[in-house]
Amino acid sequence: MIEYLSSLPNALALGIIWGLMAIGIYITYKILDIPDLTVDGSFATGGAICAITMVQMNNWGLSLLFSFLIGLACGLVTGLLHTLLGIPAILAGILTQLTLWSINLKILDGANISVNATQYHTLLSLFDIPNALWKLGIIIALIIGFLYLFFGTELGCAIRATGNNPKMSNAQGINTKRNIVIGLSISNGLVALAGALFAQYQGFADIKMGSGAIVIGLCSIVIGSIIFSKIARNFAVRLISVVFGAIIYSIIYQTAVFFDLDTDLLKMLAALIVAIFLGVPYLRRTYGLKFKKWKENRKMRLKDGK
Amino acid sequence: MKKKTLLTLLVAPMLIGAATGCEAKADFTIGISQLVRHAALDAATNGFMSAVKEGMKEAGKTVKFLKKNASGDSSNCVVIANTFVSKNVDLIMANATPALQAAANSTLEIPILGTSITDYASALKIDSSEVTKRNISGTSDLAPLDEQAEMILDKNIFPSISKVGLLYCSAETNSLFQVERVEKLLQDGGLATTRLSFSDSNDISSVLNKAKGSVDLIYIPTDNTAASCADTIAGFVRPNKIPVVAGEEGLCAKCGVLTLSINYNTLGQVTGQMALEVLLNNADISNMKIRYDSNPQKKYNETICQELGITPPEGYTKIA
Repeated sequence: MIEYLSSLPNALALGIIWGLMAIGIYITYKILDIPDLTVDGSFATGGAICAITMVQMNNWGLSLLFSFLIGLACGLVTGLLHTLLGIPAILAGILTQLTLWSINLKILDGANISVNATQYHTLLSLFDIPNALWKLGIIIALIIGFLYLFFGTELGCAIRATGNNPKMSNAQGINTKRNIVIGLSISNGLVALAGALFAQYQGFADIKMGSGAIVIGLCSIVIGSIIFSKIARNFAVRLISVVFGAIIYSIIYQTAVFFDLDTDLLKMLAALIVAIFLGVPYLRRTYGLKFKKWKENRKMRLKDGK
Repeated sequence: MKKKTLLTLLVAPMLIGAATGCEAKADFTIGISQLVRHAALDAATNGFMSAVKEGMKEAGKTVKFLKKNASGDSSNCVVIANTFVSKNVDLIMANATPALQAAANSTLEIPILGTSITDYASALKIDSSEVTKRNISGTSDLAPLDEQAEMILDKNIFPSISKVGLLYCSAETNSLFQVERVEKLLQDGGLATTRLSFSDSNDISSVLNKAKGSVDLIYIPTDNTAASCADTIAGFVRPNKIPVVAGEEGLCAKCGVLTLSINYNTLGQVTGQMALEVLLNNADISNMKIRYDSNPQKKYNETICQELGITPPEGYTKIA
């Protein structure tokens, strides 16, 4: 049991990093109402840029900054493909993702770069998880705080309005195209930043590290929204709930690996988690109501003495 | 209700774990982290396990393996490595590069043995490919590239070739490393080369079709992605009568003519021997040299050789 508990800090740290990525996905998927598939590419791009900056300059601050900036650019490309060239959002994301695969190979000059914490001054490392945890805690709190303030400004509100009702927003004189581009940029900037933190944490950047990022992000959003939807509908709480969703996802994953679940089944587990979290509330809504009715009916019948 | 769902999700695997975890404690526990399931990596893991089991039996000790597979997702390697560290295993065997890197970043104490790694210097960003000077050693699957190139250049085997296509997956560090070396050797030998790189199994057939008519022979290095779509490659090269020289036996068995192949099972067994030295004889892992399969095997594919009318040279055995 102690062994199990000692494996949880890692799950927590991974959860926070995935949470940051999931916030990025939340901005496009929930706020802008656009399914953006760029993230599988931009997550790896963030990691790749971070790794190459670490190797060249050995400076974690710059590496995170560059990753974020390049992430913004990735989102910008998807945004422009969508708004300027009229390519459907989902396809625009896939196109950027494909492009990024090639670009990432060029950045990494191969498929994999090691940024071992024994040789480089990384911000985070698997060697010292408690240290990584409080740093990640501060980073995520700062980012949620910043986003909360940002989406309260005029521009932020306009972006939210764009997602809620683009036609109405347009009629109100909001430049929806510009807002979509900005939203996509911020989203991918955060995703790339998460990729950079992840590369530092695990000590390497790999071309395949982004594959499945979108699934983890969506899992986190779904889990988070279901658990927290009854607490408050405040925007900051929603962002926090996404992070908690990611942490829960990560803990379930770590638990499964720790207790010798056949690892060939891991992908199915991810799908199961989402299915359960989406399915159970639905079943409760539909069949719970029927069950309630049936119970009431029975009570009535008993009262009538039949 | 939601809390209950969550609790069930968290507790259920714990109970299963508790139920299965009550077996007798072994003398040694070894964690095996493998990147993805495919023939070569599986063979290395099996070779490792059989060698360790045998050695432990002789020494009168028991050993327990925790075998985990990351399903090709490198972030799973982190979770697996961390699990091994939490369980405080006696040794970690990391099969393939990301698995090794994740383990290398998780612990400085637990000895780590890598296998199916081509070059330790580039995988760990260290200066030496011989010793790591830390808690890591292992075996390398670097194929005998010089001899492979000689095979292609041998006019007795391939009398009339002038242009060689080098087929590899651009997402694999190891493949590029091998292709660069072989490319240089072939060019020095007077052949023209062209790189046929694909990014994943989906575009391999279009890359091959593009090469149609422009190459006389295709060389494929030890490449995990190519290995997993060997049938697709065979479906192209056999009708078009293009001979393939492969970097490993699994590929050659499906689509190749000749190979000079290291055996991943043997490689795993060599790694197993190293594990025994570390666990039973307390050998110092930080000074253990990286080992290789010292006896690569010359093999040929009988069916495809007959199709192309190639007589396998002496000293080659047919792939069973």
